Amino acid sequence: MKAINKSQIEELIQALAAEGQVFVPQELNGNTKYAPWQKGVQVILDKNVLLSPKDILFPQTEAMYSYVADNLNTAITEVAVAAEKQVIFGIKPCDVKSVRLMDLVFLTKGFEDTFYKTKKDNTLLVSVGCAKAEPTCFCTSMDVNPQVEEGADLALIDMGEEYGVEAKTEAGSQLLAKINSLLKDSTGQLIETTGFQIVFDGIEGVPEKLKGMFEHPIWDEICLKCISCGACTYLCPTCHCFDIQTKKIGKEGYSYRCWDSCMFSDYALMAGGHDVRPSKKERVRQRFMHKLRYFPERYNELMCVGCGRCLAKCPVNVDITRIIGQIKEAEVNGG
Amino acid sequence: MAVRVEEIKMINPLVPIKGKIIKIVTETPDVKTFHVTTENGKPFTPMPGQLAMFSLLGVGEAMFSITTQGENHLEFSIKKTGMLTDALHAAVVGQEVGIRGPYGNGFPIDAVKGKDVLFIAGGIGLAPVRSLITHCVANRADFGKLDVVYGSRSPADLCFKEDLFENWTKVPDMNLHVTVDRGDEDWTGPVGFVPSFLEEINPDPKDKVTVVCGPPIMIKFVMQSLDKMKYDHQDIITTLEMRMKCGIGKCGRCNIGSCFICLDGPVFTMSQLANMPNEY
Repeated sequence: MKAINKSQIEELIQALAAEGQVFVPQELNGNTKYAPWQKGVQVILDKNVLLSPKDILFPQTEAMYSYVADNLNTAITEVAVAAEKQVIFGIKPCDVKSVRLMDLVFLTKGFEDTFYKTKKDNTLLVSVGCAKAEPTCFCTSMDVNPQVEEGADLALIDMGEEYGVEAKTEAGSQLLAKINSLLKDSTGQLIETTGFQIVFDGIEGVPEKLKGMFEHPIWDEICLKCISCGACTYLCPTCHCFDIQTKKIGKEGYSYRCWDSCMFSDYALMAGGHDVRPSKKERVRQRFMHKLRYFPERYNELMCVGCGRCLAKCPVNVDITRIIGQIKEAEVNGG
Repeated sequence: MAVRVEEIKMINPLVPIKGKIIKIVTETPDVKTFHVTTENGKPFTPMPGQLAMFSLLGVGEAMFSITTQGENHLEFSIKKTGMLTDALHAAVVGQEVGIRGPYGNGFPIDAVKGKDVLFIAGGIGLAPVRSLITHCVANRADFGKLDVVYGSRSPADLCFKEDLFENWTKVPDMNLHVTVDRGDEDWTGPVGFVPSFLEEINPDPKDKVTVVCGPPIMIKFVMQSLDKMKYDHQDIITTLEMRMKCGIGKCGRCNIGSCFICLDGPVFTMSQLANMPNEY
């Protein structure tokens, strides 16, 4: 296997920078997140960062089109989507899987989302496996391999003193050839990821069981402590709901999309006041049903990658792993 | 960049094309029908029951059923209920707007072909149903007997009066049954709610497809009436609405279980809905 010394990571990133802007996990303004690499930046590879790279492919706010609306007259101009090559370096396998799930949402089922596709088509993913889990990590219980996941172009696998380097796509092979001078042959072995404090027996049977649990009293209890802050959906690398809003100043304006949250009270509220999810109970149920039942039904994948961000940051400790346990234990009579 | 808006539309389903309101018909005190065209004629050719995103730039965008279409335009019958529809009701002929679509599955025309069709609607619920009625009328030979059972709060609140009391009355083997919750001094027709009115008419369920649309409370009681008359839920179709933003099954909010109304709906049979979470 090809490998690179951990001490040569900066050289590797430097080489990747020839492909386009490289986003690396780093500390910025008190948060840890993916941001453009510059020489000397401290790259965080020993643990995952708080903000996933989802905003690189699906920005928190994104202008879609501008317009002029002058009395009766209107002109609409699409905002050109930047199509510059970029590299996301250091993305963890859980987040790699979340990009795969985003691809299912934005690129399949009849319509391709132009804004997402343009960016995704120009993005290379270079993943870095995890040697050590954080206390809130539970990816292995969600069927995610903490060293390498399908969806990365190039996968770096933690082998202790060095990273094994594997090309996973055609683009990855081309990249591998370009960085070949930095690589050596290695007989090293990947090290097993240690430190998981949350390990449970998968979620087999949960999507099916949830079919009979729409009216289950479990939701009355689960929703009680939620304060509808939306931190979970904000941090979740798989949450992708968006709103479309418009802003006009004078005669000119633009329409943009922005992240939305199913936890918010106006999420499904219709003109006229009808709301199919009028209280926290329906909204919390929607969130967990979506992740654990609806998404698997539609795309044959769970919409949770076990990154643990929602566990770490929920101000009232709503814990999806505990909820999965509750669902498994719940008594269900009939359908 | 000199790319025409129509070309952009072909590659980007979230960006509207420019349309223009060429006619406004006042249907009721709070419903107006807007005729919309583009400089290249009809924005697109929808199937009956499909939807479109209609926007007033600077105000907002919302999903509406396409009530019917002409050679060169689409029609939207819109009730004044919120910020965007208030602004639309204040709009005048000549107003340029944004439009994108068509979205959704539409009515299952092939499944309805050759059968009698019973249309049941309340208030603005006739708007989406009208797209199929118009289709049946235009292709009269493809369908059996047509019955329309329609009710509104008052005679003034009846939508599409010209169709109800003139155009459709001339269509062979088509019966109009129109009721109002309360009449006025000029009203000589039936008075009463749609469900009980329907039971009085008592149409035979044999070889029939039923299309229901109206306020949730009306649908609930119409379903009880149809059950009494032994209608099969497989042959009862409805069209739903929910808050929508993208129209292409991605933004999240209009799901019922794993279905999105904008993409997999808005038209469902009652037996399909029975297998979906009761959240619509």
